[in-house]
Amino acid sequence: MITSWDNEKLTIGLEGRIDSGNAAAIENEINDAMKEKNPSAIVLDAESLDYISSAGLRIILRLRKNHPDLSIINVKSDVYEVFEMTGFTEMMKVEKAYRKVSVEGCEEIGRGANGSIYRIDKDNVVKIYNNPDALDEIQHEREVARLALILGIPTAISYDVVKVGDSYGSVFELLNAKSFSKILQNDPDKIDWCVDEYVKMLKRIHSTEVPAGKLPDMKETVLSWAKFMQDYLPEKSGKKLLAMVEAVPHDDHMIHGDYHTKNLELQDDEVLLIDMDTLAIGHPIFELGSMFNAYRGFFEIDHDAILSFQGFSYETAEKFWYKTLAKYLETNDEAVIRSVEDKARIIGYTRLIRRSIRRGGLENKDRKAEIDLWTKELIELLDKTDTLLFENDLENVNTNRDLDIEAVEENLNAVMAFVDENLEAVGCTMKSQMQIDIAVEEIFVNICKYAYHPDKGRAVVRVEVSDEPVQVKITFIDHGKPYDPLLKDDPDVTLSADEREIGGLGIFMVKQTMDAVEYEYKDGSNILTLVKNL
Amino acid sequence: MLDIKKNMDGSKLEFVLDGRLDTITAPQLEEEVKSSLDGISDLVFDFSGLAYVSSAGLRVLLSAQKTMNEKGSMVVKNVSDEIQEIFDVTGFSDILTIE
Repeated sequence: MITSWDNEKLTIGLEGRIDSGNAAAIENEINDAMKEKNPSAIVLDAESLDYISSAGLRIILRLRKNHPDLSIINVKSDVYEVFEMTGFTEMMKVEKAYRKVSVEGCEEIGRGANGSIYRIDKDNVVKIYNNPDALDEIQHEREVARLALILGIPTAISYDVVKVGDSYGSVFELLNAKSFSKILQNDPDKIDWCVDEYVKMLKRIHSTEVPAGKLPDMKETVLSWAKFMQDYLPEKSGKKLLAMVEAVPHDDHMIHGDYHTKNLELQDDEVLLIDMDTLAIGHPIFELGSMFNAYRGFFEIDHDAILSFQGFSYETAEKFWYKTLAKYLETNDEAVIRSVEDKARIIGYTRLIRRSIRRGGLENKDRKAEIDLWTKELIELLDKTDTLLFENDLENVNTNRDLDIEAVEENLNAVMAFVDENLEAVGCTMKSQMQIDIAVEEIFVNICKYAYHPDKGRAVVRVEVSDEPVQVKITFIDHGKPYDPLLKDDPDVTLSADEREIGGLGIFMVKQTMDAVEYEYKDGSNILTLVKNL
Repeated sequence: MLDIKKNMDGSKLEFVLDGRLDTITAPQLEEEVKSSLDGISDLVFDFSGLAYVSSAGLRVLLSAQKTMNEKGSMVVKNVSDEIQEIFDVTGFSDILTIE
């Protein structure tokens, strides 16, 4: 047994097998080690521990009595299972041994505010965190990625935590993936396609409603930046900045927070969002502000710096940013686009100036020149701008959670495919999936048959998935004749085949298999809602 | 998206179904069943390849069962757990002979 002291902290190396045969001897050894002085903290290093029986676990419990903050580190996965099964992982800090990974010679494929992403082999990438004590951060990112996935945003979730030198990394599976930066770098002709996909994802993010309390509010963050700026702006400008940020209404929709082309990946034909640790809720102008920085703000003095970051030129970045804004705002009117850009620049410069000042930028000649330029621009923008709000009709966005389709039976397969695609993201059992499919078919076919008869009309199918409780809600909206299918009498399912009528089973099955079915007629629309707990 | 295979053996007829039995595909099966039952006393549905049955499919089964009650027997075999659930909820487990 190896023991080592670090000031008052005692580290005890556990080795081999600990069972009833040697437990007493080991406990004596440990007590001997503590004879000279009483440690303020005990760490059990389980790097060489292969097995521990309940006799061994009891030693740990006795040790912990006098040292409640005892922790166990470097635990092999077999042994970790024992600690987990016996509830030790809940009682004390038990840390797994992390696989060691090297990224020497690996390609950097992404970079975010808190770390960099490298490809370690054909199928896997590792994100290395800048913060050496990143376990909480990793946990946070895993949680928000999971939340985003459940809410319908395609993303990758890490499956392993590793050590890269002294830093922590999390490993993701990312096969045959290429970042949008890479695509723009290799294939500049694809810029319009990239803009289309990039904006489609952006709108999807911005139309995703986040349950209360799940993500930080970006408005709070930007308010703190605006407060910081009070000391560095003329009083009038500072006050105006603060008032304009205050005036941005609360918004429960998601924003990514670091949405640039290195954080969007094309995997086969699927577009995936990565680097989720900055996920927040808030008004889209906050997102546009950080996007402006990623393409222009950071590089306004040193245009070449963007090459090493994005892999494409400042000119390409400018073009991409302008086309993105045009597409996002659905306009070609340059005056409209530039006016929203100005609002984004206000947020962007505010963040850049604060960031640079906090990093000592005022003491460095080049940095100071940058800060002065940004400040001058910001003051001018504040003079001519009165609001950060802009026309942004996200209602018309056709995200994949809203399907607007002609209500004819031939479209049943399209409706099914749409619903199943959304269910896939949650992962539900075959049984639930079939029940949901059946319910969707019954309701949709009902609308096809009766809502507009003998004419034709459209129906909207909306799928919403929530996290707690894990449940899916499907809403059908049509503008046909008021018709409540729930009023239909239930068939008597105890009758024999000959006594039973053919038909009438559909709605009955829906009522039996869903957890809630509601109908309402409102503003000329039939609204039918299905809820299924998963 | 429903494949229907018919195996005729004297007065015995077997339908082997593969795919989904829903609003779109049920009329095809209904048509096949209706036009094939002449002289059949033994009707079998093999569901081993069937992934899904909605009420439109149940209607076809019920109408076939009604016909066969008058002239022989009908059996549904190789039913998946998920489809068995549907039969249980709708009382079809009591009406159909499921093997």
